[in-house]
Amino acid sequence: MKETVVIIGGGIAAIEAARQLLSLGYSPLIVERSNSLGGHVAQWHRLFPDMTPAQDLVRQMISSISQAEICLGTEVASLNRLKDGYSVVLSNGRNVVCRAVLIATGFDLFDARKKEEYGYGIYNQVMTNRDLEQWFNTGNDPRVRNPKSIGFVHCVGSRDLKAGNSQCSKVCCVTAIKQAIEMKERFPAAQIYCFYMDLRLFGKKYEDFYINAQKDFDIHFIRGRVSQVDETIDGGVVVKAEDTLSGKPLKVSLDLLVLMSGMVCNAGSASIAGMIRADVDTDGFLRSKDNVYNIVESNRPGIFFAGACTGTKTVPETISEARSAALSIHNYLKG
Amino acid sequence: MIEDRIANGFSPFVIPFMVGMAFVLGYCIIGMVRLLLQLPGEDRKKFLVSLITPSTMLKNVRDLFLDCLFHVKLWKRKPLLGYMHSSIAFGWFMIILLGHIEVALFLPHRLKTFYYPIFFNYFVAEEGRTLKGSVFFFLMDFFLLVILSGIILAIIKRIRSRWFGMRRTTKLTAVDRIGLYSLWLIFPLRLLAEGFTAHISGGSFLTMPVNWVVQHVFSSPGFFDNNLHMLPTWWAYSIDLAVFMFVLPFSRYMHIPAEMLLIPMRNAGLKIRNARKGFAKAVVYSCPSCGVCIDACPMTVKKANVKYSTVYLNRQIRRGNEDKIEEISDKCLMCGKCSAVCQVGVQGPELRVAQRAVRKYAVPGDFSSINTVPLTIAAGQGTGNVAYFAGCMTALTPGISRSVESLLKKSGVDYKFLDRDGGLCCGRPMLMAGRIKEAHQIMAKNREIILSSGCDTLLVSCPICYKVFKENYDLEAAGVKVLHHSVYFESLAASGKLKIEHDLLNLVFHDPCELGRGSGIYEQPRNLLALAGNLVGAEQDRKMSICCGGSLGSLTLDFQQREDMTRNALKNLCADVPDIIVTACPLCRSTLRRYADRPVLDISEVVDRFAVARGLERSA
Repeated sequence: MKETVVIIGGGIAAIEAARQLLSLGYSPLIVERSNSLGGHVAQWHRLFPDMTPAQDLVRQMISSISQAEICLGTEVASLNRLKDGYSVVLSNGRNVVCRAVLIATGFDLFDARKKEEYGYGIYNQVMTNRDLEQWFNTGNDPRVRNPKSIGFVHCVGSRDLKAGNSQCSKVCCVTAIKQAIEMKERFPAAQIYCFYMDLRLFGKKYEDFYINAQKDFDIHFIRGRVSQVDETIDGGVVVKAEDTLSGKPLKVSLDLLVLMSGMVCNAGSASIAGMIRADVDTDGFLRSKDNVYNIVESNRPGIFFAGACTGTKTVPETISEARSAALSIHNYLKG
Repeated sequence: MIEDRIANGFSPFVIPFMVGMAFVLGYCIIGMVRLLLQLPGEDRKKFLVSLITPSTMLKNVRDLFLDCLFHVKLWKRKPLLGYMHSSIAFGWFMIILLGHIEVALFLPHRLKTFYYPIFFNYFVAEEGRTLKGSVFFFLMDFFLLVILSGIILAIIKRIRSRWFGMRRTTKLTAVDRIGLYSLWLIFPLRLLAEGFTAHISGGSFLTMPVNWVVQHVFSSPGFFDNNLHMLPTWWAYSIDLAVFMFVLPFSRYMHIPAEMLLIPMRNAGLKIRNARKGFAKAVVYSCPSCGVCIDACPMTVKKANVKYSTVYLNRQIRRGNEDKIEEISDKCLMCGKCSAVCQVGVQGPELRVAQRAVRKYAVPGDFSSINTVPLTIAAGQGTGNVAYFAGCMTALTPGISRSVESLLKKSGVDYKFLDRDGGLCCGRPMLMAGRIKEAHQIMAKNREIILSSGCDTLLVSCPICYKVFKENYDLEAAGVKVLHHSVYFESLAASGKLKIEHDLLNLVFHDPCELGRGSGIYEQPRNLLALAGNLVGAEQDRKMSICCGGSLGSLTLDFQQREDMTRNALKNLCADVPDIIVTACPLCRSTLRRYADRPVLDISEVVDRFAVARGLERSA
């Protein structure tokens, strides 16, 4: 009989790890809290840099794990160390004993309401990057009404000690540029501004994206953090910021403001880590054995990590990490 | 009858005491004269006039007795601590006073001999017992016993400070230790010396038994022969007094003479103008290093930052350690709790502001170029006698200004939003940073804008703005009343203009430093909240409220250092398991929210949730 590996989480890291474990001859069991697979990526519209439709990718990935066992709407009630493995009790009452557990609990999107000065949840015309992706998918959001001017605020809840997060979320710079281009394509007459403090365009083709955004799409990049947002009488918003390149404060009236909410550790990760006394790092994410050579391994035997539960990751990084985790589990179980 | 025992009324053992006394008096008089000369002319005049004004004279005498001798504030804080201090201070005072009365009554010709009242029992012989003599001997022994009980408590306190309600106490310096041990020794030595002479001079219930013991128990003709050891014990007593007086100016015991100067100066209405000179000097030297401010300081949570508490600022100012003074002055949150608990009234935040004010900046701030014309024109538009000034902090927390506007509308108040499209900073952050000149530039401009609105009520949401508008803007004189929204809405609710429905939520109120300790507003917000829900208490509140840690007062604390302070403040607030933490300051609200496990709302948001719009009241 094939050996069971429990995978906690149902995002792309979990799906890809399950696919690899299947092909290595194991029987993965995915435990997902929500009622669908695909996690955050399934809610996205298109992925940089090739504008791949996110749903196509997720659908393709899910179809590859048809033989895996999947428990949706299920949580881990308890996770206990046995002599040679773990006993996993699920919220549906099932008890699974296995030698290896993969934690792929991913991240939470930073709650933009915590940056109250940006007015998310208070002003009508303020939305987050996820809201905008959903609008791309559904075309249904009262906030998007043929805007004449749109602003994107980078680093909302990232690299922000006031918000309690020191980490960079890696993907928001390029996501903002991607979304800005997509909005410009939909509303060619709109003026689009990106308020950034740094542009961290490290990945393949990211820089090309940035150059295209300026050259072909006439998107304005303003270096300076937004200090405050006010609502205008006609329902729009006024953004106060500083252009640190010209050294001048500026005020821009906008019809729509998009906040690039960053990634914070999934609230559930810490409680799962607590069950087996795995370490939580100072940034709130789970602590790998080390951050260079053993990112997918924990300090507990038989517990492995994949994806954004150990830190902010891009989609390709998450997928390669899932593969790496599957291989590490395989080596652990056979050796 | 009590008579002279020694014909010339002198013995060499009084010399150490006399030298010590001359030293300490000389030191204090020179110090006082220098301090008075350092005062600015008008302050000096004010002080001297107050000394001959009957009302302040009376107040001075009362305060000197209540604070210096009876330690009334300590009694209120912890009776055991109050007893310990007042027994020593008042007992000692009574012994000195009674000593003088004895001399005046029995040996009036010795009154001009300075040491006679102190060493009375050595110099006299009791020829026959009189009621008058017995009463005095009894009183002297009684007050000596009172002092000794205080000394025993003081020794216990050194070992078990928690019994006296203090978690942490100050680290003593070497000189402080010499002072402390010599002080502890003075009274046992006095008892011993008087005991040795009691069969000659007379004594009472304390000295007589001691005399009996040294006479009989140790009466071997050799070493413990009483009369042989009479003089050495009196020498020991005199030398110990001298040691104490010689270390006094360099130890914490300087607070005894300094406080006698501080009290009349404070009653004269003097303020700290310079961190080192004049009044501040009296303040610094009045610090008894008791360390009550260490436990009170919000920065010292988890045993951190103890070295930044006010007691150590005073010590470093006395030492003139410039680097440490700067460091301590910049670190402080300016919450004012050390002042609230201080027994002698050391004003920690004011000392620090004065210190910050002497700093030279490479680039001086200049705000004279700010153009207020568009703002004054905008302020003049619209109607309404109530002008709402949200302030910068509320601009960053639009949830609060929305609720305030909603409540104003529900109460039917005609108002104008003064800084909706931008305004000037109130100036208080500048003031707290010690940049007084720059602050006054901003304040003058802001005052102009406020007055051009033509309002008679200035409504503010931020206690930081409130305090400075109230204290430094002189708006009342121009006919403008300054009100914090918690006070304003309470009065609207009391007069029936604002209807609030009661709910069963448990609410705890966090007193913002600037509103509570800073402006003395404690009850109105609570009265208002009680209309909306059930008010529950915090472990420490009102005057003892713990700063949220977000204060603008600190120039050097970073976010990680503040985190423990905020968590501690939250723990204090959640003692009675409230559903919602309520405050009345946008900065406290943002800070507490960062780590809170339950909702943190401004008082206006809570009240707005339960306030009923006019005309929409539910019919009964």
